[in-house]
Amino acid sequence: MNAIDATDRAVAEQDIEPPSLLTIIIDTNPHAWALLDDTLPLTKAVASLLVFINAHLAINYTNQVAVIASHSERAEWLYPTDVHPDNVQSNGALANGRDYEDLMDRGGPVQPPDDANKYRPFAQLEHTLMYNLRKMMNTTTTDAINSSPATMLAGALTRALAYISKQTASLPTATSSTQFNYSDPSAMAGGNELTTDPTKSANALGLSSRILIVSVSGDLADRYIEIMNCIFACQRMSVPIDVLKLAGDPVFLQQAADTTGGIYMSLSTSTARAGLLQYLMFAYLMDQTARNHLIAPGEGEGVDFRAACFCHKRVVDIGFVCSICLSIFCEPLPDGTCLLCGSHLSMTNYGRKPVVVPKKKVKKKKRPTESGTDTPASGAGTPMPG
Amino acid sequence: MADSDAEYDGEGPDEDDVMEVSDGGRRAMASRPKERAQARWEATASSNWELQEAADGSIEGILGGLEEAGKRKRLLKDTTPLQRGIIRHTLLVLDLSSAMLEKDLRPTRHLLTINYTIMFVREYFEQNPISQLGIFGMREGLAIRISDMSGNPNDHIAALKQLRSTEPKGNPSLQNALDMARAALYHTPSHGTREVVIVLGALLSSDPGDIHDTIKACIRDRIRVRIIGLAAQMHICAEICRKTNGGDENYYNVAVDEVDYRQQLMDITTPPVLRSTDTEAQKHNQAALLMMGFPSRIVEEKPTLCACHGNLTRGGYLCSRCKAKVCNLPATCPTCDLTLILSTHLARSYHHLFPLRNWVEVSWTRARQEGSIQCFGCLTPFPRIPNPQEAVNGTEHDVASARTKRAEGASESSRYECETCGQHFCIDCDVFCHEVVHNCPGCQSNAHLPGNQNGHDAG
Ligand SMILES: [Zn+2]
Ligand SMILES: [Zn+2]
Ligand SMILES: [Zn+2]
Ligand SMILES: [Zn+2]
Ligand SMILES: [Zn+2]
Ligand SMILES: [Zn+2]
Repeated sequence: MNAIDATDRAVAEQDIEPPSLLTIIIDTNPHAWALLDDTLPLTKAVASLLVFINAHLAINYTNQVAVIASHSERAEWLYPTDVHPDNVQSNGALANGRDYEDLMDRGGPVQPPDDANKYRPFAQLEHTLMYNLRKMMNTTTTDAINSSPATMLAGALTRALAYISKQTASLPTATSSTQFNYSDPSAMAGGNELTTDPTKSANALGLSSRILIVSVSGDLADRYIEIMNCIFACQRMSVPIDVLKLAGDPVFLQQAADTTGGIYMSLSTSTARAGLLQYLMFAYLMDQTARNHLIAPGEGEGVDFRAACFCHKRVVDIGFVCSICLSIFCEPLPDGTCLLCGSHLSMTNYGRKPVVVPKKKVKKKKRPTESGTDTPASGAGTPMPG
Repeated sequence: MADSDAEYDGEGPDEDDVMEVSDGGRRAMASRPKERAQARWEATASSNWELQEAADGSIEGILGGLEEAGKRKRLLKDTTPLQRGIIRHTLLVLDLSSAMLEKDLRPTRHLLTINYTIMFVREYFEQNPISQLGIFGMREGLAIRISDMSGNPNDHIAALKQLRSTEPKGNPSLQNALDMARAALYHTPSHGTREVVIVLGALLSSDPGDIHDTIKACIRDRIRVRIIGLAAQMHICAEICRKTNGGDENYYNVAVDEVDYRQQLMDITTPPVLRSTDTEAQKHNQAALLMMGFPSRIVEEKPTLCACHGNLTRGGYLCSRCKAKVCNLPATCPTCDLTLILSTHLARSYHHLFPLRNWVEVSWTRARQEGSIQCFGCLTPFPRIPNPQEAVNGTEHDVASARTKRAEGASESSRYECETCGQHFCIDCDVFCHEVVHNCPGCQSNAHLPGNQNGHDAG
């Protein structure tokens, strides 16, 4: 009956390769790289990454790349360049007279030297990335390094996601519904998931994005909530997070890769780290479409699902959970009051079963049929609870 | 089967009472569908004219402003962390009566409802991963079961897809539906919420007995009922919702059009705010510190027996306390009785505990002072800041004044500032950060923010 006016209209199949945005987050925590210095110095790792990025750009001329550094006390863009207000006159024009729109087009305030032997986009990206990385390292003070041994991964992920969301929205998708656009109150900024017809994937021809985290630091527990928020946002936007772990404790990044369907690999030995470029090219280069046909590396491993407690930021595998706000604590609370929601929690029966576990089903499930006669139906004789 | 207890509003003496329930926008709506359709058409037509009249000078500025204001309107919500019912038990009751064959919602009410319900199920489990959902239908005076209470979205979606091929028939019965919902929710533990959401297309209810008894029973069982009407306000629906929600009249709404319908359905996926009476009740008997294990997933070379079913499996989850192997989470360890849960299930609700604060509009003066030229999140360039002297005379004046006239809620400089980190963002990042990622890119990117040492946005 819905053949005439229902929404299934044939969408012309296009077999052009969809553009792909690769966002790389490099953990540039100086403490961790100092430990790796004799086997894999940062410069060597960046050189391998540049080859990898060039390979990604070479696959499809519409492919894009973005690189963010997750440094010890801030997260910075390496490519494209973030323009600081200091370089800009009060009216928005650049100090050296160039218009800043012009500057955006060329990827940054720096122009690569003319070299006839290098594909210009490669040269430009390499030049900008190295310039920004050097600038960031030079502006890192000893105080900053001493004060925070961690890395700003949550910030880097959030900035990457904001960028991905904007790039996805600015690229028109062929299958996205035009019926609900800006008037649609609950459409996501990426427009990726809630189309009128749930059977079609919205980003069939749009930008397919993925994030690669090159991680060296361990301790991420103090940003547990923020990192988890980023992971769930990635999952909603169907952006896989690939993780290449060079050192450190894997807990939350492993969860990130598992939840979003990305690839997780850990290069813990120095021989493995020596083959960084090979790992990058063979495990991380293919995009989502290609991955459907391949066996992903690292699939045969378990996943560490431990959580961080809210009170001490310890990583725990058994925790005490407030039944009202679901905060996790690593030890029974001294005065029985939840530190977050303030509810008074009974301590006597904390071994009690919470309700999240569904009860065993006794009845067999029946599907409603067209007539509705043989379905469990309530007539006047509905079972009345007391 | 006796005829309905429900009555039309409109003619009845209760008209004023009912009209008070609806809010401003819907007040204009008449009770009969024919007139309602006309009102809707008139509303769109008149709003188009308003837009054109306002657009003297720069149309883009006004349109852009309206668009931004619309996006922001739903962002500017109260961000004080509220206690929310995060463990929910919801029963969705769909109208499968002949009224759903109407085509005022395209393609038909029935098909649109199924499509929206599938989206609703996905979003519900996205927002409430440890909650339970069940779906019932009302057809030919009976309440029928479409899917059982379960925490698996795929069960519900499969059942809903089957429903597409069936034809709506007969009359709905609110009383039968509520009684059946009550029976289904009766055994749910009392520290979760008990909610019934009814989508009602018909303007009648064909009930076997006195529905007021059922309403009283629902109140006794702490069941909260929400109704989304597709046609017009009905007095009995307003009464059911008001009485089961402690006098709050915001739980019964009539969808004006497709967009509104979807919005109302999606609103339900946000965990409900707990009322003080609920909180009291919970504090007295249920709130507890629960010990839970967060087991890790293992993959084994050779299959071994699982402790829960005795099946041979190659992998599963090892209990954090006794190392027994279970195949699925959430589960109770069969050996030591510890509750095992995936920590990612709990973490999904944390953005309700630490909501991101609203960002504020940035005036030209403030923008000039900061000199921001691109969005901190996505690097999109902002519109140029006009010079102070240019703003007084010449061409820049027009741009500036047109921008100042932008709709309420939109920022004149198209910049939005996070007051914690002082960074400026574009409207898209504002929406994205508050709706999807729940983090501020600025706050997370700087370890040395004043007064932000504890690491939380809300801090
Ligand atoms: Zn602790
Ligand atoms: Zn609590
Ligand atoms: Zn089992
Ligand atoms: Zn156990
Ligand atoms: Zn932005
Ligand atoms: Zn901020």
